[in-house]
This record gives sequence, C-alpha cells and structure tokens, in this order.
Amino acid sequence: MQFNYLIDGSIVGLYLLGTMIAGIMVRRYVGRVEDYLLAGREMNLYLGIASLAATEFGIVTCMYTAQAGYTRGFAGAIPGICNAVAMFLIGLTGFCVKPLRDSGVITIPELFEKRYGSFVRWLSGVVIVLGGLLNMGVFLRVGGQFLVCCCGLDLQYLELIMTALLVAVAVYTVLGGMLSVLVTDYLQFVVMSGGLLAVTLFLLFQTGWTTLVNTVEKKIGPGGFNPFIHQELGWPFVVSNFITNAAAVLCWQTCIARLLSAKDTRTGRRIYTHTAFFFVCRWMIPGIWGIAALAAISPEVLQPLADQMGEKQSSLLAMPYYLGTILPAGLMGILVAAMLAAEMSTDSSYMLTWGSVIYNDILAPFRKTRWSEKKGILWNRCIVASIGLFLLFYGLWYRLGGNLWEYLQTTGTIYLSSMSILLIACCYWRRANNWGAVAAIIVGAVLPVAYLAINQQIQVEIEVAGKVEEVGLAKHYIGDYWINIGTYIAVAAAMVIGSLLKPQTSTKQDDRGT
Amino acid sequence: MLGQIEQMLTHYWFWELLVLAVLWWYSSVTIYVAVRGLLDIKQMFARLGQRQPQQQQTIN
Repeated sequence: MQFNYLIDGSIVGLYLLGTMIAGIMVRRYVGRVEDYLLAGREMNLYLGIASLAATEFGIVTCMYTAQAGYTRGFAGAIPGICNAVAMFLIGLTGFCVKPLRDSGVITIPELFEKRYGSFVRWLSGVVIVLGGLLNMGVFLRVGGQFLVCCCGLDLQYLELIMTALLVAVAVYTVLGGMLSVLVTDYLQFVVMSGGLLAVTLFLLFQTGWTTLVNTVEKKIGPGGFNPFIHQELGWPFVVSNFITNAAAVLCWQTCIARLLSAKDTRTGRRIYTHTAFFFVCRWMIPGIWGIAALAAISPEVLQPLADQMGEKQSSLLAMPYYLGTILPAGLMGILVAAMLAAEMSTDSSYMLTWGSVIYNDILAPFRKTRWSEKKGILWNRCIVASIGLFLLFYGLWYRLGGNLWEYLQTTGTIYLSSMSILLIACCYWRRANNWGAVAAIIVGAVLPVAYLAINQQIQVEIEVAGKVEEVGLAKHYIGDYWINIGTYIAVAAAMVIGSLLKPQTSTKQDDRGT
Repeated sequence: MLGQIEQMLTHYWFWELLVLAVLWWYSSVTIYVAVRGLLDIKQMFARLGQRQPQQQQTIN
C-alpha cells in the first residue's frame, strides 16, 4: 500500500493548513526580542512538555532510532534510557539548570561571560553554532528520504519536498519566533503522538510481540537484548551514550531554550522531570518499527534503494520502506501527517534556538550600543531565514557515510563536551577561569572535527559478512564511542589544567574571567 | 548492581514492560498534556496580551 492522494493527501493537507494558520496568527504578540526568542518567559509546564517532546522527535529521530532497532534490536533503545535517566536526575536535583535559569540569561554563553569574560562568550557561541549546524544539516535530506521511501514518491521529488517543507516551517518561525514554535509544537505534539500510537498498535497487532522477540533473537542474538554483550556495543556504548545524553540535557539548545522560556526555575525543572520518560518512548517506538522491518525486510532488498539515494547504509531506509508496504490508506495519511508534524517542530525549533546564539552571543561584540527591540527582532528574523537557507543547501549535497546516530553524536560532541564542562565548572568550581575555558573549547572542537575529517579523507577496506566495505581510518581503529568518551575526558582535563595554570588574581577579577 | 542490570536487560520481560509503559505514556499522558497544554497557551497569550500596551508605550 502506498500514499493515497485523496484520503492521505487530505489528512496531510488539513494538518499543514492548520499549522500554518496557527503559526502565523501569533506573530502579533511578538513585541520584544525576549518574546521572539523565549516567548516572553511565559511558558508553563504542560506547554513546555508538549513543546520539548515535539521538538526532540523529528523524522531524523525516527529514522536513526528505527535504524538502531533494525541493526541492534531492543539494545538499540539504550540511548533513550540513558537520556531519560539523565534528564530526570538533572531536573530533580537542579544540577546546573537551577543556577542557569536563576541567572536570567537568554543563552548559555551569556552566563559564561559573567565568569570567563566576553571572548569566551563569543567563542562558545561559535562552537555551539558550528556543532549545531553540522548536526541539523542532515535533517532535511533524511526527512525527505523517509517521505520518498514511505510514500513511494519518485526520487526526483526529494529535493522539492525538502524545500517545500522548509519554506513552510521558515515562514511561521521567521514571523512568530518562539511563540509560533510553541503553538505549532503543541499542535504537532498532538498529531505526532496520535500517529505514533496508531502506527505502533497496528504494527504490534500485525506482527505480534513474539515475532518481534524471535526476530531479534534469531537475527541479532542475545546482544539484541543486552548491549553489554553485543559485539559492536559493549560498555563503551552505554557510557558514551550516558555522557552524551547528560551533556545534551545540560546544553542542547532546544532543551535549554525550554528551560529558559519557562515562567520560573521550578517550572523549568518540572518540565525536565515530567518529559524524561518521553525520551524512552522516543527510542522505543521507532525501535519497534525497525524490529518489525527486520522481521520482514532483508538488507539485500534495500541496497538498490540505498544506492539510488547515495546512502552507504541501507538499514536507514528499512523502516520507511517497510511502512510503505504495510500501512493501509488512512493510516498512511496519519503517519505522514505525524511525521511532517515531527519534522516541522524539530526544524523550527532548531532554526530559532541556534539563531538565538548567533544573535545573542556571536553578534554581541557588534552591538556596541543597545539595539531597539524592532531592530533586534528584524536581525533575528534574518538569522533564522539564513539558517533555513544553510539547511537547504547543506542538506542537498551532504551524503551520510555511516550510522546516523553516531554522526549526530560526533557533531554534537563538537560543542556538547566543552559547553557541558564549562557550565559545570562555571556553576560549581570557583577556580575555573578563561584559560581553562578556552583550552576546553579548543580541545572539544578539534578532536571530533579531526575524527570526522580523518574518516572522510582516509578509509580502510574491511571485510564484513563476505563483503568488502570502506570504513574511516579513525572509526576502524578507535571507534565512535571511545572518541566520544575520550573527548569528554580530554576537555575536562583541559579545563582543569588551563584553569590551574593561570596565576591566581583577586576573587573579583577572577570571577569576571579577566 | 551492574550485574543485576545486565541480567534484567537479558530477560525479555524488561523490554515487554518498557513497551507497555511507552504505550501507556502515549495513550494517557499525551491526552492529559494536550488538555492542560491548551490552557497554558490561553494563559500565556492572555499575559502577553496584557503586557503589549505597556510595551508599545515603552517603544514609542
């Protein structure tokens, strides 16, 4: 069964129209930069939960979590469990997030300026934007691939679909900022949740729980249930994921924007504790779809499709291809609407929250005098539109070489490692200063970038299941998990050594990072 | 403790319970959040609406 233009198209069209109208209507409430970037800090608990949940689930999320289910079975959902545990603990204890929200800043680098000085604020902004843009650069292409595979559309429409989707999102995000993002996130949360639940129940009834378990047991083995005994995973995978997810909870722009948009610190922390379990759902639901695909589709069937799309790993396409063959008309429309909802909420929020760092921190040195609110909003709108253009062009030419989650993890580490260490030190270590901060930022950015560059430039041939495959040199000899863990350790060491090397001055000067 | 977690992951009931919990979360919490979230949106715009005349005065 493929996309039915009359039934499924009507469902999708109705959803898109509703979202656009709601998103554009709220623009009249944008009077200040704080309204545009943080919804005037008026967001309450349940809107925060809906918004965070919608933002953190895009088509790209669905694709890599389903890929994890397809290749690693139930063990593939471990990152979600790590994320949920980290988010719950951080929300409960207020670790870092309490002092961050109490400070009343718009972005994390703004807080850093108070301790490390204005240069560190600017540099932090640069690495946050660099890591974030590389990360979100693959969203559009992967989203387009899902729609093409699932709906059976001609491949030539991939770019057209991506562009149309981005333009729709950009229109309401540029006009209404965070207010549009929150309202559309809410709608998208409802549509997305309904769609995810309907498709999951359909698949469970269609395939059966026993078949899913037996498939993992037969095709992946005990490692499909237990990551510690999985040949390619093991404890470095679990540790690496726990560290990355904890750092993401502390510093990921979309999470932090919700914390800072909350009406007070208590609400911000409750958003974290109440949304935590969603991160298990975020990995489990598409994971089940991926396992169901594993039960029905072999990698050989997918290879021609992957070749056509220029992707090395056909496993990424298993879930959408499978759903395209099994879902009836009507349910397909609900799925596509849900996935569009997921993608739009993610794209809009990413464009806005990373744009906020460009405006608030990277452009800070250029705002010698205070800008009017009108000028500030105009600049923010231009920045969001520019990020949209970047996403379009980067998304068009970048081809993913390996596992999607590992790519996202590595690009995220470019800034997550240094920003999380800087934030922890800023909140809890009095000796932390700008020497340590700069050293940590450099180490945190250089290691993952070097890793990515080496993998892209130098490749080795290895034999997997009788087939010769090309793998990046660093990936083959060190591996994604060790690079990730090593980067965090190196960044922490750089922060400590750099801070201790700086001669101690008076407390007042030290606090300003001078 | 690590051994216990490892054992728990090996037994399928852990994953079965987790899937049930996920389905429960989506079918119940979602509805609750959807209803309360709508009220939050109304309140948020009411507060922003009240602030707007003051902001206009400040800008002018």
